[in-house]
Amino acid sequence: MRIQFTLNGRPTTVDAPADIPLLHLLRDYLELTGTKCGCEIGECGACSVLLDGEVVNSCLVPAPQVEGRDVVTIEGIRGPDGGPSDLQEAFIEAGAVQCGFCTPGMILAATALLAKHPQPSRPQIIEALSGNLCRCTGYQQIVDAIELTVRRRAGKEVQA
Amino acid sequence: MSTFKVLGKPARRVDAVEKVLGTARYTVDLKMPGMLVAKILRSPVPHAEIVKLDVTPALKVPGVAAAITSEDYVDHSNWGFPVKDDYMLAYQRVRYVGDPIAAVAAETEEAAEAGLKAIVLELKELPAVFDTQAALRPDAPLLHPELSQAESEPAGDSEFIEVKAKGNLSDHLIVRQGDPLAALAGCDVVIDERYSVSHQEHAYLETEAALAVPTPDGGVTVYIGDQSPFITQGNLVTTLGLPAEKVRVVQTRYIGGAFGGKSDMIYECAGQAAKLALVTGRPVKLTTSREESMIASYKRDAMVSHFRIGADRDGTIRACKVEAWADSGAYASMTPFTSWRAAIHAMGPYRYNACAVDVYGVYTNNGYSGAFRGFGNPEVTAGSEQAIDELAEKCGMDPLEFRLKNCIKLGDTLPYGQKLEESVGLEACLRRVRELSDWDRKRAEYARQPAGRERRRGIGVACFFHGCSLGAEGVDDATHIIRLGPANRFQIISGLTDYGQGSRTVFALIAAEASGLPLERFEWSAGDTDVSKDCGPTVASRSTLLGGNATRLAAERLRQQIVNAAALLLRCDAGAVQQDGETFSAGGRSVALDEIINFAREMNVPLSASARWQMPKIHWSFTEGRGVPYVAYHFGAQVAEVEVDTRTGKTRVLHIWAVHDIGRVVFPEGAKGQVIGGIAQGLGYGLLERVEFQNGYNTNPNFDTYLIPTAADMPAVTVEFVENPLSFGPYGAKNVAEPSLVPTAPAIANAIYHATGRRVRHMPANLERVLLGRDLVDSVVTYQDGVCERARCDVGGAADT
Repeated sequence: MRIQFTLNGRPTTVDAPADIPLLHLLRDYLELTGTKCGCEIGECGACSVLLDGEVVNSCLVPAPQVEGRDVVTIEGIRGPDGGPSDLQEAFIEAGAVQCGFCTPGMILAATALLAKHPQPSRPQIIEALSGNLCRCTGYQQIVDAIELTVRRRAGKEVQA
Repeated sequence: MSTFKVLGKPARRVDAVEKVLGTARYTVDLKMPGMLVAKILRSPVPHAEIVKLDVTPALKVPGVAAAITSEDYVDHSNWGFPVKDDYMLAYQRVRYVGDPIAAVAAETEEAAEAGLKAIVLELKELPAVFDTQAALRPDAPLLHPELSQAESEPAGDSEFIEVKAKGNLSDHLIVRQGDPLAALAGCDVVIDERYSVSHQEHAYLETEAALAVPTPDGGVTVYIGDQSPFITQGNLVTTLGLPAEKVRVVQTRYIGGAFGGKSDMIYECAGQAAKLALVTGRPVKLTTSREESMIASYKRDAMVSHFRIGADRDGTIRACKVEAWADSGAYASMTPFTSWRAAIHAMGPYRYNACAVDVYGVYTNNGYSGAFRGFGNPEVTAGSEQAIDELAEKCGMDPLEFRLKNCIKLGDTLPYGQKLEESVGLEACLRRVRELSDWDRKRAEYARQPAGRERRRGIGVACFFHGCSLGAEGVDDATHIIRLGPANRFQIISGLTDYGQGSRTVFALIAAEASGLPLERFEWSAGDTDVSKDCGPTVASRSTLLGGNATRLAAERLRQQIVNAAALLLRCDAGAVQQDGETFSAGGRSVALDEIINFAREMNVPLSASARWQMPKIHWSFTEGRGVPYVAYHFGAQVAEVEVDTRTGKTRVLHIWAVHDIGRVVFPEGAKGQVIGGIAQGLGYGLLERVEFQNGYNTNPNFDTYLIPTAADMPAVTVEFVENPLSFGPYGAKNVAEPSLVPTAPAIANAIYHATGRRVRHMPANLERVLLGRDLVDSVVTYQDGVCERARCDVGGAADT
């Protein structure tokens, strides 16, 4: 079937079977491999994307459900120069990245959080990340990276 | 520290940009035109004879291009190290649920699945065994009757492992000093307890995958995210019957975690995909689903241990006797090696007059066990560090004070005869973690909690040592090349893998330090058997020590080449050239690095250096259980503070303080990340994680039932390092990645005891064990009062009883 939606800000039309999840639509039909497949049952968050601004597990969203809606993947998260955004830059500086497989999902979960709560508390950040598994980092530096972004956006700390 | 230009300073991970942008491509992301999809037929039963296996019906399924069995390989695809007991595809017999039997390559996943269904498979089920104690009985069903006549390969130049293979005993590793039974009889205070730990799943977020591409010369190239490209290559050469020059293994630039888990299982994936590629003449991609990965891949071995430790009334430890049974599962894999590391570390980092350690590796039909971060040490330390706590209490001493009194210090001799001459920071770690955690105050305060309080706090400590690198397992060396690449940058070429732990950043930092050039001048490459030198496996936290030293030597040589070229340009002696970053000068004239590189290119002056570094040779006698197992050790201590809800059994870890002696901090954010990440895995090991084998069936093969810590499960973690430089480490560095999880679970267990007054000697300390002192699934098991009537139930699920 033909699915039309907005993907990373661009109108997109794709022909795909109706019975596949959004995850496979992105990876196999649109070649956007930044969205990772970790469990296919909505437990690990590696496939997180933004659907109308809400973070969802794309493995649980039937592809036809995105018809007419707005989808943002990690490929749509960029700074003004096309490089890392301030949040992505903070992930690098804070040591929030190890193997990197969970990183796109973590960044999308954090993006959704900061859009709603520009000044989240540390427990709020932890709650927002609790649907995303990371086996490498122990999460602390990921939370640190988000706090660093919050401080910088509030003008309390300048980027090095 | 202040003498270093880049080491120990804030640094960016060299491969992080692609990861945060989502442009990093992992093996699971790879695609090629004309690529076929591979699927594996796996054993549905724990133990059976293959009576009939016919794959020809699969070939009639539309879209199926090939279907293979063990008959398509050399010697039925038999492989394995140190015990050659495994197969790329099962031969005559299957030994665990998930054992691979046949492989199909097809145009689509659906066609491959249909192909698997068409295969004719007839199995005759055999009696199976699911716990180590039952497996050692004379009447137990044998998993490897053919191995009863001992067979093994020597590991390197050590006399390692004359594999016994008597019945289901795959191996027996010992440590010996004096007469511990006599010494224990003479001790004022003795503890005599059993402990156990469960199978742990690696849970790397990227599942196993391999892309095999046939080459025009009849060979094959395999793109894979493994830990050791040369071992993958060696196994392919053996089982495919191809010469080494026709088998190339290229590591994917990004690997989604490993933790010891991307070895044996992924060698099999390589063997299966490579054979299908050779048969079909087309690229073949094999990717495991999460369930398939969790069912088929190897685990950390479950272990039951029995500790007897004795001390004088004044708290001086005298003797110990330790026996432990590791559940090797269906194949030996790394269990002979993990059992050896377990034996060496079983006594913990303490002084003893007499000791005897016996660790047994035992075949069962519970999946199979192999390498997992810590490699035997977490399994025994979960027991020994609780036993030490229990002994301290019996001596009436504070557990941290007791450890300080008995822990090994510089100049001490370890029970197996090794004198420690340098880099022993354990006492410093214990003292620092005591301060950081406010130990004395909290210890006293929580001891005064009213008896009826429902939410109870406790604080516990565990300390440990961990031998650096492979030790006496075998030859331990690495060779790195640093050569001029495009854009006037230097490529560091290594056969060691960065699967997230940060070794390529460590190498780049060391190259910058040794050459005096900026970090940005260095770029990394992934391992490739056609380009890299064999550096041995990326295991045992050996990358910084081995690869770091090789990098340092190569970078120093490269710098000399640059200086020599600069001297030609400056028309002076090389000895007169002064370097200031990228500027080289003499006699008032200077040239920039780019000018030197361009000159070198024009004049064909090589700017490429390589260096090999080998660990000092040591010797361990496997028959006497004495010698020098490791040249040096990592030391560390962790304190855990918990709150236990005595109404539910729920343990919340409030804070963990970790102080580790890693020799020298090279990459601070990376080292800290290794410790916190290790603690997360150790917290899971202590509280949550347990592969539930029921009659050999893994009943929790995805993240909805096998729970690993989330952000919400993690406490705040405070990390500090003690820098006790190792003379032959690169700039004094030892290691950090593997050891960090070793003390976490017992520190938490000791804190739970401090909070509740009840010991949970069996990991994970889940709700029912903390609340009831036993498992709900098998109410016969009694975990309290120092008696575990049927500890084996904890090893293999409720299984065969």
